[in-house]
Amino acid sequence: MDNQFVITKNIKTVLTVGVITGVLLIVLGLIFGSWTEERIWANILLNGFLVISLSLGAVFFVAVHLIAESGWQTTVQRIAEAIGSNIWLGALMIVPIVFGVHSLYHWSHTEHLDSVLQLKQGYLNLPFFILRMIIYIAGWTFLIYKIRQLSLKSDSSSDLKVFYKLRTYSALFVVFIAITSSTSAWDWLMSIDAHWFSTLYGWYTFIGLFVNTIAVIIILVIVLQKLGYLNYINDEHLHDLGKYLFGFSIFWAYLWISQYLLIWYSNIPEETVYYVERITNFRVLFYVNVVICFVVPFFALMSRGNKRKVSWLLYTSIIVFCGHWLDLFLAIMPGTTGDAGAGISVLEIGFTILYISLFCFAIFKSLTKGSLVPQNHPYYKESFDYENIK
Amino acid sequence: MKNRQYITGVYYDDKELLDGIIQIQKSDIPIFDVRTPFPVHGLDDVLKFKRSRLPRLGFVAGTLGAILAFVFQVWVFSSSWPLNFGGKPFFSVPSFIPVTFEMAVLFAAISLVFGFLIKSGIGPGAPALIFDERTSDNVFLVVLEFVDDSHEQKIFNVLKEAGAEDIKSINPSLQNE
Amino acid sequence: MYISPIREPLVTGSKSYKQVTDDITKPMDGKPGRLWFVGLGLALLALMLGGVAIFVTVWDGIGSWGLNRTIGWGWGITNFVWWVGIGHAGTFISAILLLFRQKWRTSINRSAEAMTIFAVMCAGLFPLLHMGRLPLGFFVFPYPNTRDLWVNFNSPLLWDVFAISTYFMVSLLFWYMGLIPDIATIRDRLKRSFKKKVYAVLSFGWTGSARHWARHESMSLILAGLAAPLVLSVHSIVSMDFATSVIPGWHTTIFPPYFVAGAVFSGFAMVLTLMIITRKALNLQNYITVGHVESMNKVIIATGSIVGIAYITELFMAWYSGVVYERFAFVNRAFGPYWWAYWIMMTCNVITPQLFWFKKIRRNLAATFIISIFVNIGMWFERFVIIVTSLHRDFLPSSWAMYSPTWVEVGVYLGTFGLFFTLFFLFIRFFPVVAIAEVKSVLRSSGENFVRKGVENEK
Repeated sequence: MDNQFVITKNIKTVLTVGVITGVLLIVLGLIFGSWTEERIWANILLNGFLVISLSLGAVFFVAVHLIAESGWQTTVQRIAEAIGSNIWLGALMIVPIVFGVHSLYHWSHTEHLDSVLQLKQGYLNLPFFILRMIIYIAGWTFLIYKIRQLSLKSDSSSDLKVFYKLRTYSALFVVFIAITSSTSAWDWLMSIDAHWFSTLYGWYTFIGLFVNTIAVIIILVIVLQKLGYLNYINDEHLHDLGKYLFGFSIFWAYLWISQYLLIWYSNIPEETVYYVERITNFRVLFYVNVVICFVVPFFALMSRGNKRKVSWLLYTSIIVFCGHWLDLFLAIMPGTTGDAGAGISVLEIGFTILYISLFCFAIFKSLTKGSLVPQNHPYYKESFDYENIK
Repeated sequence: MKNRQYITGVYYDDKELLDGIIQIQKSDIPIFDVRTPFPVHGLDDVLKFKRSRLPRLGFVAGTLGAILAFVFQVWVFSSSWPLNFGGKPFFSVPSFIPVTFEMAVLFAAISLVFGFLIKSGIGPGAPALIFDERTSDNVFLVVLEFVDDSHEQKIFNVLKEAGAEDIKSINPSLQNE
Repeated sequence: MYISPIREPLVTGSKSYKQVTDDITKPMDGKPGRLWFVGLGLALLALMLGGVAIFVTVWDGIGSWGLNRTIGWGWGITNFVWWVGIGHAGTFISAILLLFRQKWRTSINRSAEAMTIFAVMCAGLFPLLHMGRLPLGFFVFPYPNTRDLWVNFNSPLLWDVFAISTYFMVSLLFWYMGLIPDIATIRDRLKRSFKKKVYAVLSFGWTGSARHWARHESMSLILAGLAAPLVLSVHSIVSMDFATSVIPGWHTTIFPPYFVAGAVFSGFAMVLTLMIITRKALNLQNYITVGHVESMNKVIIATGSIVGIAYITELFMAWYSGVVYERFAFVNRAFGPYWWAYWIMMTCNVITPQLFWFKKIRRNLAATFIISIFVNIGMWFERFVIIVTSLHRDFLPSSWAMYSPTWVEVGVYLGTFGLFFTLFFLFIRFFPVVAIAEVKSVLRSSGENFVRKGVENEK
């Protein structure tokens, strides 16, 4: 059993090609495509949020399992940690939006605000926006750093105290993310449509990013297996991950319909404006989003057999990942670029390929830092000896 | 027809039961039934049960319930009795979703339970063929069936070798006649 | 199946399979104790009071309640939502915790599910009474009729009819299917008698055949898979009774998941309140251990915090929205004439459960009992705040009003307590409170003697 991950030349080549392709596509898009400043900033926000949200989702995955005393996930814990410990990269990617606030956020133009936005100035103003961003990133980075460190420490010591400390920090992280996931979603995404508001928005965004994280964990597990690692991950683990993706996709759909149905039913213009814009100007994407985030995983992963098929899981996860990318696209673009300036072209694809390639570099680098399984984890052995009910 | 006769062997531990069954299966005597006080983990694999088809029944019934509920609501509001609510279109999918979902669950659940009861041949007042009343307490019972008396001794030996205790030939009592 | 030695045993006292059966069925043997008769008597008394109040409601009409034109929903709907909420713990424990492979559910799922069923019965009574004339209850079902009318499928109130009747049906089936092996256990323990015949009929002829068990497990898993989204849907739909409207304080998109969290929160509180007494009275301390209580307390703190975050989100969004009506509604909640209800809700739901962050309090039975009652009270006030405080200040100041209940409303509420406890006392007398077969199935992995053996093997 080889538990030490090594970055081979092949991986490096593939990722370098990814980075170069990304840059090339962006350049191509800039030269030949039509673009506006808003569109560039919107892309930076979209992909920055995507990367940082994956880190947050991954650490949430680890933390919530640690405090729930679960055993099965220890085999994938290190993979989630590797995604999560690169929070610094996500932070680096999201921070630049501070320089693009005028292109992204209507409320930052303090010189001409209507009466509603004036009422919101206590919250939506640049200094406070930056302060909140610092608090989020500082808090996340600190807690994630602690969690990662304690987890790595358990490789060399079997002291249970390390584990209990890890659990304490996990609980702290869960509490902190419970609040900041909502507020950061309001800040970075909801305030794009500065007049619009929805109390569910934070939770909806959070579950979206969590489903996305699970899809990414599944993809990584399968990729690592193809590379010859993680041969101890068996059908039962895949089945559980598949169930996770299946269940939380349904939960995402539940939140989606809750938000949509209530706004649609009450029919208050201040609220419906959000959906009117998306249904009229982004009609196809709006429905495609629901189909690939919910309908596809729902039917693809319903049967027990499918959840245990590697290729089936892989393709579903990739589709779900695209779905949640699209979800972010629909959250960001209508308010920033408007329907005329938005589109999915080489520019968008280039940005995402570039960001994801860089992110993968960082993830693989983190994977080398420790054993691929937390061997001294007190529930480690449970993970190899369980079966799903038939 | 000749009366069926049964020989039963008792185990007091689920691990021993599994080992014993594997031992019995090495002889060519078919196992008539195994009675346990709770679902023993791994027993269905050892006895080579096919996977239950109940999930599929649930899926079909659930789909049927969903379609029926949805079509019915659409029919009511777009043809039988169109009703204006908040100026919305008569054909409003979002407001049909809750009832559609509930009906899907209801149909699936009821069909599952009835599928289970019918397939297992149990129900209110159904007679129970009980070999040993302790099987609902702490006894794991292997039941073998024989028709020809000459087999009796052989079965006794097989059970003994498989570690069963309290082996006896039995005529089961039928509860609830 | 390997189990980590640092896990707490779920069954203490080194029990054998036989002891499990004996311990759990013991309360059903012999004559019930005096305590049981006193309890049942009190419950029946409350039920009788409820009967009188219901009679007055039906005879005199809804006018005998304290409702007025502005506040059309008062205690009746508050109690309805409260009882439905309490009915969420049982199916949550038996369905969602089954899917999450939480083994500690085996000791409490049976009684929690029974509570679910009784609570939903109590809940269903209120909308029925609210119709004023009981036969009107028949009209909510879509049957072909000479009036040539269908029910209004666009109304969340009708969604409720479907959601709650489905929930009741599925919970009942789930509960009873889990119960038949245990009824068979009781049947087999009895000597030939009339009682044995009754249990034989109720046991559906269960024999414990391996084939039946395999099918039973398969069915339970799928039922759990169905019940899990069902649990979420029921209180979501209840929340839509409010949230689809345009009343400030009612119309907010967070309502569905927030109501579900609140329901599980109050449900677990009720389960704790009753189980802490029941385990003592029926001598089941080895099965419902302090570890179980701690696990439930963890669920309470999780859901309680979700509810707390939802309160604050609502409050913030009311300000953030810039809508004057929303802003007023929330200021009025906290500082208006019903301020006391709001602060009782905040204290009981948000502040007291935070004490469970301390392990000592989480594992202290007396503290848990008190906090669980606090939560029950707080969750009742939550519904009262949402319903009455949002209604009493109408858009039109000339119709502003106040509301207080009459003795009839209080009587009906007490009556539902009577119904709930009567059924509960009968349940603990005639059915096993703990799922015998399920406890046996986790005994090998989580019984104290087996866990200890595992630790020794480790060394």
